Amino acid sequence: MAEVEETLKRIQSQKGVQGIIIINAEGIPIKSTLDNSSTVQYAGLLHQLVMKTRSTVRDLDPQNDLTFLRVRSKKNEIMIAPDKDYFLIVIQNPSD
Amino acid sequence: MTQKTARSKKPSSKVAPSSRATNVSTSGFLRVSHSRTHSRSINASMSRRSFSLAGDGRVLEKAPMQPARATVKVFDENGTDVTPQPLYRPDPAAVPPRQSKILMAQDVSGATFSDFFSSAFHTTYASFGGPFTRSLFESSIVSKSSQSTMESLNEEIEEPSSKREGIISLSDVQVRREEVKEPTTEDVLNKKVDIHLTETETLCLLDIPATSVSVESEEAEIVKQRNAAYTELCKNRMGNDKYVERAMQTFNGAPKAKEVQTKSITKVDAAITATNWDIYDTLSGTGVEGVVREPPETEESNLLDIMSNHSQESSRNLERSMSFLSHTPSSSSSRTEMEVFLVPVEDAPAPEVILYSEKFQQDLLVMEKVVLQNIFQPKLAAYRQLPILKDPDSTQKPKDTGKTEKQIQKTEDIPSSPALEPLWSFTCELTVGRNVSSMTWNKMNPDLLAVGYGHFDFEDQKSGLVCCWSLKNLKWPDRIFHCESAVTALDFSGHNGCLLAVGMHNGSIATYNVQSKEKTPITDSSEYPHKHTGPVWQVKWVSQERAHSEEEKGEALVSVSADGRICKWVLKKDLDCVDLMKLKRTKSERTRRQLGERERRSELVIWREVPGLCFDFHPEDSNIYLTGTEEGFIHKCSCSYNEQYLETYKEHKGPVYQITWSPFSPDVFLSCSSDWTIQLWRQDLLEPVLVFTSPCMAVFDVAWSPKWATVFGVVTEKRLEIWDLGASILDPTIVQDARPGVKLTSLQFASESDCILLGDSDGQVGVYQLNLNLGEGTQVNKTENTQMKCYT
Repeated sequence: MAEVEETLKRIQSQKGVQGIIIINAEGIPIKSTLDNSSTVQYAGLLHQLVMKTRSTVRDLDPQNDLTFLRVRSKKNEIMIAPDKDYFLIVIQNPSD
Repeated sequence: MTQKTARSKKPSSKVAPSSRATNVSTSGFLRVSHSRTHSRSINASMSRRSFSLAGDGRVLEKAPMQPARATVKVFDENGTDVTPQPLYRPDPAAVPPRQSKILMAQDVSGATFSDFFSSAFHTTYASFGGPFTRSLFESSIVSKSSQSTMESLNEEIEEPSSKREGIISLSDVQVRREEVKEPTTEDVLNKKVDIHLTETETLCLLDIPATSVSVESEEAEIVKQRNAAYTELCKNRMGNDKYVERAMQTFNGAPKAKEVQTKSITKVDAAITATNWDIYDTLSGTGVEGVVREPPETEESNLLDIMSNHSQESSRNLERSMSFLSHTPSSSSSRTEMEVFLVPVEDAPAPEVILYSEKFQQDLLVMEKVVLQNIFQPKLAAYRQLPILKDPDSTQKPKDTGKTEKQIQKTEDIPSSPALEPLWSFTCELTVGRNVSSMTWNKMNPDLLAVGYGHFDFEDQKSGLVCCWSLKNLKWPDRIFHCESAVTALDFSGHNGCLLAVGMHNGSIATYNVQSKEKTPITDSSEYPHKHTGPVWQVKWVSQERAHSEEEKGEALVSVSADGRICKWVLKKDLDCVDLMKLKRTKSERTRRQLGERERRSELVIWREVPGLCFDFHPEDSNIYLTGTEEGFIHKCSCSYNEQYLETYKEHKGPVYQITWSPFSPDVFLSCSSDWTIQLWRQDLLEPVLVFTSPCMAVFDVAWSPKWATVFGVVTEKRLEIWDLGASILDPTIVQDARPGVKLTSLQFASESDCILLGDSDGQVGVYQLNLNLGEGTQVNKTENTQMKCYT
């Protein structure tokens, strides 16, 4: 339990990390370091994205599955670790 | 009998209408009329068997009752009421099984079931009346003709069959076989019945009784007579008293309109997209699929709610396959038709459960590595000698980018001089302030580094710490092991990549399994009676090639400690150690001569053993090893002899801190000691080939480079020196000073990269990239050359 908290803190303290969001399988944020509106926005949009991505990966090969998703954009990078029960999302701007 | 005969005498003219009456709807359709009699008595009215069986002519010759006289009751010989039932039986298909029983019961040879079946459709002349009221001849004819209809049966039937077609008009009495009263025995039931469905001749199936008869046929006369009689009758009917017209009226029931109202049938269109993986999941029956989902709501709201739920869930669910069947369910059947393959979702797992699950922790660690990778990409790329990716979208200030670009240009233009470029340093809050005592790479996974922290001095003892750092996470070690005493030596096993041996200041040796998350050592020699009594200065896993027995093949852990013993530890059931060597004090001749009397007197030594500080096994011959002692001697020993040294190299004047064989030249080794010198030896020469001095400082560590044969690194208290023998044997090629206030303690080359790790007394392990501009490949020749140079 404490390990989880520690790790979260460590990630949060790394350079350029803008926020961490953890959402459950239904898209409801459980934990977030961003403000509420951003959290909800990220949660909703990324949820759909991951669903689509997962569907794509599995359509190509049903035995395959999505393990990690990184979206690199101009301003930052969104990293998503999906799982059956939750999504772990970290937004980072590495050049910060 | 008399009854029958009486009846039989009835005008045949009556037969026609009566028979027709009975068969009014059956012309052309052969049916078996119902009969319940089973008796074989001649008096029996209908015998069921009467119509069919080939062999049963007996039955057929019996004159059956006339059911046209409807009120007649028929009793068979046993007195049972066997009054024939009405003709129409709705399910002729049900007849065959019974027929089979009959067949079996009657034990008719040769008759197959199909014959029965076909016979069901034959006109049978048994029973009722018409045909049988005629003469015996007729009945026999009929019987035969009925037999004849079962053409496939017996040969007997064959002959008369052709003749029989004429009589047909009267002969479409159907005898229906009904339940056989015969007890069905087990055998009967279990008997295998062959059911052959064959098509019979059309004639048999569709037997429309002809209403005309050929003039030349035998019955022609009879028919003519009958017809004449009939016309006469008709004529007579007109004014005849015998015939009275009578009308009947049937009452029609009063119709009544009845209304029924149902709930409106709500129709909902549902559609799905069955994706590839969806189908795969369903077929492979993964645990993801759920049961028929029970909608919790009421029926009306059922569908809509479910639909909406599903659509929501479909957007939420990750791995749930959603195979709706497209359907338009009526409200009542909505539940049953709802074959939705969903994970039966009661609730998503509670947040706490998620947050503290094992998987989540792993994901977090991975995420951490990813984040760090982003940050340290340039450094890691340099480490792995990959091109550094320039971030095209970086929003750095133009001033900085300009500078860095210029710098890069500069370095590219000028052939860079040998330099040590700092990449990063492994440090975290746990390790700050601790002294790095040893480092070792994992033999199996070259990205894993174990660092031991512990003070060398006797005072200032904190508890020891071992951290396993991974190149993927530069900010936090992957494993942390706390040890009770300062860690002084480390080594990863070569055979079993996850075993880490730790030697400690209090003399105990522990082994850890770095794969598991356990914090406790697998074995610990602290309880062992023969453990070392002094700090263990070096541990090494040595693979045993020459073993005495099969058991000893594998790896053994060899350790040297300040109590003067070199021990080989073997892990059988318990940790067991064998002394490979006891380092005894030796006084060289020279020193004796020099020291003189005074020294000899004070030769009272407290103990005869001399602390061993380091050892190294020969890279090719695992039986030979070198060991350095506090006296300054280097002894070459063999595992086979544990009393004597093979050779002694005496040159150092202070404790020898490190000895390493060259990985490229098998006979060459380096040694460093606190007498400020590093000495390069050849195995067979008792004098060092080369001596390198460092300015006034004890040399703590020396290591050969795994890539270049002539390069080695040296760590003194305040400096890191890289020597390249090919370049110069007098001066180090690169000199790097330590940060102020920090003492450097240990050195390690990276095997797959050009980098050096440098441990210091502040708990930092700095990683530096070595740019020497030397070519690839071993430069053994160069070493040889330098050696030759030295001699000459």
